[in-house]
Amino acid sequence: MAGTGRAALHDDAVLRVVDLVVEYPLDRKNVVHAVSGVTFDIQKGTTLGIVGESGCGKTTVGRAIMQLERPTSGSVELDGADVTQMTRRELRAARRSMQMIFQDPVSSLNPSRRVKDLVREGLEVWGLSEADMPPGRIDDLMASVGLGGPAVGERRPHEFSGGQCQRIRIARALVTDPEVLILDEPASALDVSVQAQILNLLEDLKEEFGLTMLFISHDLAVVRNVSDRVMVMYLGKVCEIAPNSSLFDQPTHPYTRALLASIPGHQLDLPPAAELISGEIPSPIDPPSGCRFRTRCPHATERCAAEEPTLVETSPGHFTACHYPHH
Amino acid sequence: MAPVDATAVLNDVGERAAVSPSADIASTGASQSTPPPRALGVTFWLAAGWIAVLLFVAVFADLLPVRDPDALGIRTREVEKFERPGWNAPFGGDGVGHDQFARVIAGTRPALIIGISVTLIGGLIGMAVGLASGYLRGKLDAVSALLIDMALAFPGLVLVIAVRAAFGNSIYVFVALFSVASVPAYARIVRGATLSLSERAFVDVAQAMGASKLRILWRELAPNIAVPALAFAFIGFALVIVAEGGLAFVGLSLDQITWGQLIADGTGEINEHPHVSLIPATVMFLTILSFNLVGDGIRSHFAPREVATRRRFRTEGPPSPSSGGSTLRVDQLRTTLHTQSGDVRVVDDVSFELDAGDCLAIVGESGSGKTMMLRSIVGAFALADVTRSGTVEVEGTDMLRIAPDELRSVLGSHIGMVPQNPLTALNPVRRIETQIIEPMRAHRSISKSQARAEALELMQHVGIPDPERRLRDYPHQLSGGMRQRITIAIALANQPKLLLADEPTTALDVTVQDQILRLLLGLQRDLEMAMILVTHDLAVVRGFADRVAIAYGGQLVESGTIERIFNDPKHRYTAALLSSVPDLELEPHSRLVTIEGQPPPLIDPSPGCRFAPRCPAATDLCHTTEPERTDDEDRWFRCHFPVTGDAEIETAGSRSTRPADAIRAETQGVN
Repeated sequence: MAGTGRAALHDDAVLRVVDLVVEYPLDRKNVVHAVSGVTFDIQKGTTLGIVGESGCGKTTVGRAIMQLERPTSGSVELDGADVTQMTRRELRAARRSMQMIFQDPVSSLNPSRRVKDLVREGLEVWGLSEADMPPGRIDDLMASVGLGGPAVGERRPHEFSGGQCQRIRIARALVTDPEVLILDEPASALDVSVQAQILNLLEDLKEEFGLTMLFISHDLAVVRNVSDRVMVMYLGKVCEIAPNSSLFDQPTHPYTRALLASIPGHQLDLPPAAELISGEIPSPIDPPSGCRFRTRCPHATERCAAEEPTLVETSPGHFTACHYPHH
Repeated sequence: MAPVDATAVLNDVGERAAVSPSADIASTGASQSTPPPRALGVTFWLAAGWIAVLLFVAVFADLLPVRDPDALGIRTREVEKFERPGWNAPFGGDGVGHDQFARVIAGTRPALIIGISVTLIGGLIGMAVGLASGYLRGKLDAVSALLIDMALAFPGLVLVIAVRAAFGNSIYVFVALFSVASVPAYARIVRGATLSLSERAFVDVAQAMGASKLRILWRELAPNIAVPALAFAFIGFALVIVAEGGLAFVGLSLDQITWGQLIADGTGEINEHPHVSLIPATVMFLTILSFNLVGDGIRSHFAPREVATRRRFRTEGPPSPSSGGSTLRVDQLRTTLHTQSGDVRVVDDVSFELDAGDCLAIVGESGSGKTMMLRSIVGAFALADVTRSGTVEVEGTDMLRIAPDELRSVLGSHIGMVPQNPLTALNPVRRIETQIIEPMRAHRSISKSQARAEALELMQHVGIPDPERRLRDYPHQLSGGMRQRITIAIALANQPKLLLADEPTTALDVTVQDQILRLLLGLQRDLEMAMILVTHDLAVVRGFADRVAIAYGGQLVESGTIERIFNDPKHRYTAALLSSVPDLELEPHSRLVTIEGQPPPLIDPSPGCRFAPRCPAATDLCHTTEPERTDDEDRWFRCHFPVTGDAEIETAGSRSTRPADAIRAETQGVN
């Protein structure tokens, strides 16, 4: 599994991440390799889904794009400007066009503030006030996320259900009119019927505001529903990146195949997961040489240990980092 | 899990559940309104009243009709030397005939001035230091942490003596001195609170929005620190008064009358004339107590509340006649939690039967009562006041009316429990071996070596490589998936007839989930156990169970074989739930069906169908009359107007064929 290789990049991308590396020093000798050279981009108005299991680095990628974690190396370009090289002042400005929504809607909202203040805050941070915006902008936004009604803004977060809190979060993220929205498991903490509301809402808003989205989730069915392209990560590397249908219909990377075969009750044409993956995920402190998936892969050879695979186009727009991709 | 362990694990789950049921209630019973804060109680108001009296006295001391506190009774003859308390002098007189009542009143003002100004100055500086070092961390934090530690280790008395010698004993010197001395304590508490708050997502969110650090400190963190800091301030205030009293006792008091001085002055005559010391001491004691009580009151007023404060289990009504034969029979089971907000009907008229080899999945959303159905079977409620009625029979034993000893033995030998989170279910300081062998030895008379041999076999059974070595390991040496295998081994230790699994794979990754569920279901079939799998995940149900029951509002609304329910749901809620889940067969960007509105309240539920308020097909009948159970082949359901094939497309699984906007118009309300 590689992460190297820029073959999958487009010319007209809004967000471009190149060779992103995030490492945390553990002690003097050891380093946690959370993200090891990830490259991808997102075209305007589309959604890229990132899937993978815990420890694959998908959340770290999102946080590193937002510069909540400083990348060890690599670049994050937003409309061509590299945010990793920005001064603090420039970065503050750039953050206006990138917003992130986190998993837990309730703890993402300061419990002691009123809802209207929470939403308005997105403006105040930029030194703007409601007067600088078209009249009724905040009310319109609240209505867009399904929180219309005069009294709603006066209440505090704990008076709302999880789904409503997530709506508040979304309204708050949209108030600065961002280009890119990064969503880290935005519906995973919610019940399925509420999850459906949030997913529908995100699709509507994507259309209404022309948003470009990065959707991070462990739930393959959810990613399948919202994404235009899907990227599969394993142990800090990219395994496969492909258009949605292509990835689910013809998965080529052995890990992607194992992941899809593990979905309970799936109807895909795949052997049982137990035949596609074995053992346990290695430690990110001392990841395997060559392809990182080789220790669990039924097809691994000596070449996989010696040589790291790079992303190769196996069918139009479908890239796989594997020496022996499935056809 | 076995007997001893069963209860231990359940209690463990239960402790955490002390919060979770209340969350359930909050989300079901009172999701739209704030739960009422805990009542503050009489003692709080008495204490607050005392503080109000003190404040009044301190402000208006000069206007009160009392004697001059410095007038010498031996000269004026108004108060006798050591006069006993009485009408003339309510608090008596001291050794030179001072009116103690006047002196106690005179002492109130310096006490409050010192207390309030020290608390304000020290508290605010401490809060600023604590906030800054807790949030900004880095060098600032290292330096201030070191300073705080040094300050707390510094002998305060030495400082006081030195300062007093250099600057005199005016009230200003004392305020300055105590303020400086109290900064480290406040700083430490606020720093701790800030450290944990800054881990919370809303701080990340503010940062991601581009908020400046100062703004985050002031707008995000400070308001959340305010309540705990205020609670501590009241206690800190009391400490200042104690400190002043202590200093007065060693002769280091102010140049004014203080309570500490009055107590110190009277100690020489404490045997002959105890009232001289005891009365000001009592006033001081009441004051300190009051401030502490008010501080505690504020803190607990805002602290999370438990469901109940006592544990009480009751069973009502007679059991239904036993039919015999089945491994588990649940008949008209009702469970009510009695809480401060009212009676919560967490399980309401639930009936089902399981034979050996059956696997029933109970699926539902949060607040549906699915976990409570499982707990009601084994009687595992942590801190709760519970009433159960109806029948639960395991292998013919009435679980609701059995003696506690027998219950433990049934739990240990007939029932195995697989917990939700393998990371917390195992005892971290005991070897795997001990944790598997213990339940065996508790319920069967087998030797240690025999138990060890069985444990080895179990470990192989649940697919743990190198079991010999793993038996000697501690839980932290194993991965999450391996630990869940261990908890399954423990559950199987006494060859149970019934296996209860509550969200056994929710904490696990999808590839591990697949392994664990295959293992669990394989074992269940091989060992011919009856099993209940409680989950929120419809994909898991579809992939692994034989039969499913849908929980909603504390009831089971529909139950049947997987094929019947998933292909042809009858209950309106089942149909809507199934079509709200994204699955792989849907085209990307398909609009999902949503269920508008909130889950039903479990406190005073409405008389009709629980789903009626959210159901597009509901009529007056649904709102007033609870639907009876309708039996169909392979299934039953409770619905007045069940889904009937093609015509009923509004809630059934027709998402991809129907124009998205039409569904949207129908299903998207205000919410």
